[in-house]
Amino acid sequence: MSTINKKSLLVVVRHSPYGSSLARTSLEVALSSATFDQDVGLLFIGDGVLQLLPEQDSSTIGVRNIARLIASFPLYDLETLFADKAALAQYGLDLQELPEKLQLLDDDAMANLFKCYDHILSF
Amino acid sequence: MILHTLNTSPSSPAFADCIRLLRKGDALLLLGDGVYAAIKGTRACIELNNSGAELYLLQPDTAAAGLQNRIDDTLTPVDYEGFVALTERFPKQQAWY
Repeated sequence: MSTINKKSLLVVVRHSPYGSSLARTSLEVALSSATFDQDVGLLFIGDGVLQLLPEQDSSTIGVRNIARLIASFPLYDLETLFADKAALAQYGLDLQELPEKLQLLDDDAMANLFKCYDHILSF
Repeated sequence: MILHTLNTSPSSPAFADCIRLLRKGDALLLLGDGVYAAIKGTRACIELNNSGAELYLLQPDTAAAGLQNRIDDTLTPVDYEGFVALTERFPKQQAWY
């Protein structure tokens, strides 16, 4: 029997929810890693913070809703969420409308986050 | 008079190029990720308003992005028929993507 080492994984999300398939793919990677009981963190950076907008209604363009997927994260024990403070300010997003467990980070804190995780996957 | 269309976010080079060449008398239609430039009070939105161009945004893409209650009132939402009507009014188009 092989020993399974638990490694920590940071998923870095830099793209808007519906401009490409990158957003959806990154969230599915994070979810599947969490399902296998890995220590997963998600960092929304730059345009990636646009995935956190709460009132998305993607029925108008016939694709699955990214905001709802993010809202389901606690069910999978995926609750380590970080976001780029400067990007949130750039798009006029307030903390009170964002997911409860979201931690807002400045540039130095984000750089430090990269050092804290064993692996980084960037989307 | 040109109809400009923009389908990338305000952080893109396409947005910057579009703003440089957008003029009074032109119209701009935001679609896809372009709709994020319409968020009230943001720098991108202020730059759009300063252009003097007519400003439109595609309603289905605005709803998908979750911006229903965040857009500046200087932008007029249009549906797909409205998009077609704009292409009829402006025979020439420049797509920024």
